[in-house]
Amino acid sequence: MSIMELNGGSVIAMVGKDCVAIASDLRLGNQALGLSSNFQRIFPVTDRIYVGLPGLGTDVHTLWEKFRFRVNMYTIKEEREIEPETFAHLVSSTLYEHRFGPYFIEPVIAGLAKTPSGGVKPFIAATDLIGCLNFAKDFVVAGTASSKLFGMAEGLWEPDLEPEDLFETISQALMNAVDRDAYSGWGCVVHVITKDKIVTRTLKGRMD
Amino acid sequence: MDRVDVQQLKSGEVNLGTSIMAVQFKDGVVIGADSRTTTGSYIANRVTDKLTHVHDRIYCCRSGSAADTQAVADIVHYYLQMHAQTTGTPSVHVAASLFQKLCYENKDALSAGIIVAGWDKDGPSVYNIPLGGGLFRQPWAIGGSGSTYVYGYCDATYKDGWGRDETVEFVKNTLALAMSRDGSSGGVIRMCVITEDKVERLFVPGDQLPKFWEGDEVLPTAVAWK
Amino acid sequence: MATSSVYTPAGFNFSNQIRNTFLQERGVPLPKATSTGTTIVGCLFKDGVVLGADTRATEGDIVADKNCEKIHYITDSIRCCGAGTAADTEFTTALISSNMELHGLSTGRKPQVVTAMTMLKQMLFRYQGHVGAALVLGGVDATGPQLFTIHPHGSTDKLPYVTMGSGSLAAMAVFESGWQPNMTRDDALNLVKAAVAAGIFNDLGSGSNIDACIITATHTEMLRNVETPNERVQKERRYVFRRGTTAWKTESVRKLIVNEETTIIGGDAMDTS
Repeated sequence: MSIMELNGGSVIAMVGKDCVAIASDLRLGNQALGLSSNFQRIFPVTDRIYVGLPGLGTDVHTLWEKFRFRVNMYTIKEEREIEPETFAHLVSSTLYEHRFGPYFIEPVIAGLAKTPSGGVKPFIAATDLIGCLNFAKDFVVAGTASSKLFGMAEGLWEPDLEPEDLFETISQALMNAVDRDAYSGWGCVVHVITKDKIVTRTLKGRMD
Repeated sequence: MDRVDVQQLKSGEVNLGTSIMAVQFKDGVVIGADSRTTTGSYIANRVTDKLTHVHDRIYCCRSGSAADTQAVADIVHYYLQMHAQTTGTPSVHVAASLFQKLCYENKDALSAGIIVAGWDKDGPSVYNIPLGGGLFRQPWAIGGSGSTYVYGYCDATYKDGWGRDETVEFVKNTLALAMSRDGSSGGVIRMCVITEDKVERLFVPGDQLPKFWEGDEVLPTAVAWK
Repeated sequence: MATSSVYTPAGFNFSNQIRNTFLQERGVPLPKATSTGTTIVGCLFKDGVVLGADTRATEGDIVADKNCEKIHYITDSIRCCGAGTAADTEFTTALISSNMELHGLSTGRKPQVVTAMTMLKQMLFRYQGHVGAALVLGGVDATGPQLFTIHPHGSTDKLPYVTMGSGSLAAMAVFESGWQPNMTRDDALNLVKAAVAAGIFNDLGSGSNIDACIITATHTEMLRNVETPNERVQKERRYVFRRGTTAWKTESVRKLIVNEETTIIGGDAMDTS
């Protein structure tokens, strides 16, 4: 048993047309035993940035509080909101600081960056547990169902999906992947981030 | 307490599974080495220079872990530069003692077998610093994995009072024999002749190594048996 | 004091070490980090150096990134290819790049490639191989074109053509048969491309595209994706779901634009005349 499989859980993020989506399951388990079907592992960083923290349950909380602290310090010092790319580097550095005693978390970051012209640019990124950044143009996945999510996303994703279509694509990719993963499932949550609103939906799925 | 196996290299470490040698003669020293650096069974460098400059007339031959011996040689090189600036030209014994100090005090962390040789105002000298960090002055020294195959040859061949050319031939032949028997040694032979006037570098390409008995041609014999 | 401070000290943090070694002793293996099972190469030519790399990052047997960048910036005329633990190559090169910039500023000279090489080897040696970075360092300085390899334990080699990573054997085979002294820029670039391609097609840890970087005394040219021999073919059919396919239970909308509406409750409008 790997430590990443102790509590289970998976996260996926996708890019659409002027929007991004990030989704995860809601299970918290102790190996095969399910404990909770309402475990939050996606957190809002700013209005337009969300971070997903799949991995060891205890580190989900520890790391999120650490990120929240560091983002708040950044906001106070800089007197502005953090940009997604900057936040990705903050996550990366925080994890690499623990290079020789890591947190068992593989974060996924999704957000909208501001462009100089006042528009928004979709941004997604993922890191491994010691902070190696992966900037993808299409989708990123992490967690116990990552291998299945890779397959689903590789097949279903296409460029320039509208927010509503992106919702369907990410939901189907996630649900079908976690249904084939014993350690993920027990409900899903999807956040679709657009320029002027964030739509959060909980999905109806298998509870076994 | 568990004994630390100093011979054991860390996994994936670059190894100088080597044949190295240094011989003193009337006017100076001849040092020599093969040129093979390996990681497992892969030859990471086939033209390595294991004869490392540490001062004007002092060189060392490195065997063991490439990383450890380079680090130690770099530190000694730095110390000797400081010595030259503050106290004057260092003797070979000073250089050898610095190597010995580093190798002995960090014996648990290092796998380095070093031969220090050179010329100073007291004449030529060769110092051997094997794995544990001892220091031995010798008229000739061999080291590295290939050396085990040629101790007998050296004992039988070496004579006191040789000149430069005889010494070079001796080093060249010894290394060729070691390289032919040791799988971790090979490539070319690099040699240095260090005398009062100059440091002369010699190079023997891999296809021009001295040849010794290599047995009959396999093919005609096999055909003859048929 | 340290706990209440908002500042974190520089360097690594070992606070999870006790917990993690406890878990390891209980038989829980530590998870694998992203590694770049890589082909990276470098080659000297007449008036400079060419570096090359594939663009695949792997996590065990999964391809984690199909188009990552493995040629890292050190200075304007020095670049470094990284293989091994991806995070280590990324942060090690970034740190040395930063120190090289400061070194250049404090000496008032263009920093040399050997300086970067020495900084890298001393850092990697200090970490005794625990920082798993295998590097190919190349550049041009006042002493001419330079090319080095640096192994994770801190040993270095200086050679006219070098390869590293899991695809190094395939790439070295190409160099050993095709390299010549004093090659032209185009010949060198083609040889580097062939060497990386050999890694991409013959080594499972390497794949996707070829990145190259040509450094000469006057100019550094970063050729990102010079060759893309593994382009995905156009999908024949689409898998866009009809809207409403996914059944959902709850919805909450967070509006980011605050609408302000003024409703006049009573009285006359203010006289603004």
